[in-house]
Amino acid sequence: MSAAPALPSLAEELAAIAGPEFVNDDAGMLRVFAVDGIAPAISVSPGSAEEVAAILRLASARDLVVVPCGGFTHQDQGGIPKRADVLLKTGRLRALRHYDAGDLTLGADAGMTLAEVERTLAVHRQFLPLEVARPEASTLGGALAVAAHGPLRHAYGGVRDFCIGITFVTGDGKIAHGGGRVVKNVAGYDLMKLLVGSFGTLGVIVGASFKVFPRPSASRSFLCEFPEAREAAAFRDRVLRSPLRPECLEVLSPRAAEYLKDSIPGAESKAVGRSAPEAWRVALRAAGSEAVLARYARELGAAVSTELEGQSEAAFWRSVITFSESVEGRHHNAMILHLALPIAAVAAALAAAEQIALDHGFLMAAVGRAGAGALVVALIPILVDPPAAPLYAAAVKLLRLALPHDATAAVARCPREAKSYFSVWGTTPTELDSMRGVQRALDPKSVLNRGRFML
Amino acid sequence: MSFATVVKRLRKIAGPDAVLDRPEDLMLYEYDAGLACATPQAVVFPRSTEQVAEIVHLAAEAGVPIVPRGAGTGLSGGSIARDGGIILGFSRMNHILELDLDNQRAVVEPGVVNLDLSNAVAGAGLYFAPDPSSQKACTIGGNVAENSGGPHTLACGVTVNHVTGLEVVLPDGRVVEFGGKAAGVVGYDLTGFFVGSEGTVGIATKIVVKLTRLPEAVATLLAIFHTVDDAAHTVVALTSAGITPAALEMLDGWTLRAVEEATHAGYPMDSGAVLLIEVEGLREEVEEQAEAVSGICQMQKAREVRRAQNERERQLLWSGRKNAFGAIGRISPSYYVQDGVIPRTRIPDTLRHIEQVARKYSLTIGNIFHAGDGNLHPLILFDVRDPEQSRRTHAAGREILEYCVQVGGSITGEHGVGMEKNELMPLLFSADDLEVMTRLHDAFNPRSLLNPGKLFPASRSCRETLASAHPAAGLGLDSPRAEA
Repeated sequence: MSAAPALPSLAEELAAIAGPEFVNDDAGMLRVFAVDGIAPAISVSPGSAEEVAAILRLASARDLVVVPCGGFTHQDQGGIPKRADVLLKTGRLRALRHYDAGDLTLGADAGMTLAEVERTLAVHRQFLPLEVARPEASTLGGALAVAAHGPLRHAYGGVRDFCIGITFVTGDGKIAHGGGRVVKNVAGYDLMKLLVGSFGTLGVIVGASFKVFPRPSASRSFLCEFPEAREAAAFRDRVLRSPLRPECLEVLSPRAAEYLKDSIPGAESKAVGRSAPEAWRVALRAAGSEAVLARYARELGAAVSTELEGQSEAAFWRSVITFSESVEGRHHNAMILHLALPIAAVAAALAAAEQIALDHGFLMAAVGRAGAGALVVALIPILVDPPAAPLYAAAVKLLRLALPHDATAAVARCPREAKSYFSVWGTTPTELDSMRGVQRALDPKSVLNRGRFML
Repeated sequence: MSFATVVKRLRKIAGPDAVLDRPEDLMLYEYDAGLACATPQAVVFPRSTEQVAEIVHLAAEAGVPIVPRGAGTGLSGGSIARDGGIILGFSRMNHILELDLDNQRAVVEPGVVNLDLSNAVAGAGLYFAPDPSSQKACTIGGNVAENSGGPHTLACGVTVNHVTGLEVVLPDGRVVEFGGKAAGVVGYDLTGFFVGSEGTVGIATKIVVKLTRLPEAVATLLAIFHTVDDAAHTVVALTSAGITPAALEMLDGWTLRAVEEATHAGYPMDSGAVLLIEVEGLREEVEEQAEAVSGICQMQKAREVRRAQNERERQLLWSGRKNAFGAIGRISPSYYVQDGVIPRTRIPDTLRHIEQVARKYSLTIGNIFHAGDGNLHPLILFDVRDPEQSRRTHAAGREILEYCVQVGGSITGEHGVGMEKNELMPLLFSADDLEVMTRLHDAFNPRSLLNPGKLFPASRSCRETLASAHPAAGLGLDSPRAEA
């Protein structure tokens, strides 16, 4: 009996699909793509949706776990990977599919970076309100998968509100489209909504279309200071009940200033001289003509401690967007949580976070969309030596208990040792069995990011 | 189980006065505001989530289709019992359960009428933003099913942008929650997926909606043009200039004359087209934008730009738009309203194409639509009693939608696919796209007992009708009828 011919290796099969130059199985080079210490065995950079589909069919047949990635800027978020067989990089999928400036729509492949999108749109003074800390690295596909958002969410909504079409590949290798490229469209199921925030577990996003927006002619930002979170929230309510319609309405905890400080303008000017050391801040960004901006200044009146314009304004908002990264850069043991909550619960959640931090050996710093109910909370260990892992778990548990039942608090980043003590996702009001049904429908063999999401 | 037994058990669940099964009563539930029609075998009016769940259990046990229905104002047959079975009417589940003004949310039952919610919160300076033309009658449950739009969705977004949570009865009778008052919660966005699923995934029994602050100021302008082309180019110019009006509606000459005769809204009878443009926001913004809009209209050869001087004049200008379909009903025995969408830059050539289609099929087609988001509503006039005209009407409708798709658009912007356009889905979606959508459908509604025969092309509906071979199965578009 002759020996059966040797099966082709995974590397050979991937090379046959994407070309050998786009496959890498050098363990040394792949180490940089490790998440929680787990590095992928091989990486592949497909050049088309069809190649992505072929890779996923192969992975399904061989029962491999595929980790899709764009700029690798948000891969930390999720449970500790059990396996990472194939890293599927979308970087070669970067074509602009359509940009109709007159229609205010743009479509591009998933691997296009947000910086490139920004440059494309800037030509016509338009923009996509999708804010990330590292636009030169972050991709459209990645931003969709993690439902990235920043301060502009207040006025423009989340990416779910302006993504109008999507192309993705299911776990078993079918290319599927949802929506289209027009701003209003109800034909078929809204697949965009499913993929947004699915953290790469329902499909590999290969392209998307968006509603884009005209850039406001001018803007000005107003910082207002308050001794307590409660008063900051009361001010937020006054703004929400007024005719004002700001672009951003952000709350900043006293300690957050430390991570934004290079951008809190005129550190030497009188404006900051007036600042209380422990002030909560509400930052409001207004857009429009001089008459409109003057109206904001009038309405906000004495509440305003600092006004920002031009470059200092841009730098300030940039620093709010990069808040998590600033914290992480300085404290690699920090834990970052993303809270989604009803807006009336914002002040109590921030107060609870401060108290819980204090009780567990952390300092609390937070920024967030006070009018949309989305907070970024950092718990920073006080001691240089990292606190014991169960302390992270206890803090997360208590914070979750302090929130209304329909709120969520996901841990976006924390030390690996802590991750094994709690679910980084926590609970969600959305029924889990229905979510599992959707996952089985789109990724029947659980090829995509297996074990990392909440299901 | 015989259907008589089903009816008996429905009475036991919902009460003896909550079930209709006499032919003369069922006739009222044969149609919606579109052209399709089919007769249900029973209509039941539950009062609670528990009753809905029990009815769904019963339907599953008996293998009978079940179709949720709000006010029946839909235009794509979404609430028609295509394969017979039970219609679940929500007229008794019409309570606003909670107004949570601090969180800018309301929790409502599906039968709450759209405008009633806005009226209930107007005193607090809030409203529910989606405003379909039928908002005086249509229900929020129906808005959720169809992901309804309206004139003001241009700036504010459609229904899905205003729903954060749902309580849903699934086809297996389980009662589940998707989302809540918080937006952007962790987990798959099943709320967003459910909105617009046309009653094929589950039955919403509670809906958490966002409430929006009423603007401080509003300006309503009527721009009058000699030709449709000038008006169409103005829409492109406004969008390109970065002006986002709250609403931007177009009526062509034929339509505005028909509307003017019925409503006396003040549209000049000798004009080629009008644009109804609304800007809102801060007083200062509104003044600037109104001026900018007016300037662009004049540059684009508007004959005249009028501005409503007070709320009465504003309502008058809008009355023409909002009552247009009724006005058309006065002059034509029937009409077929289309819902195609195109990129806004393609409005001029698409309107010319529609004109050619009208000539080719010897039909009158009026245009009244949400120009600001490229959502066309060509109105094809015909006489439903004339089968040959009906045939031409449907052929013309299809040709228009094919053109919309060809220029990068869609077959429906806000009316839904339903049983009206399910056969056109392959124009937009590949076999794989539809298979993936079918898998999602089957994850929730594997036996297709919930709203069968909708949204998906018939190749799959065949399977559904086998699952529900009921004698009273409907005939869909084969029996178009006049607008009620």
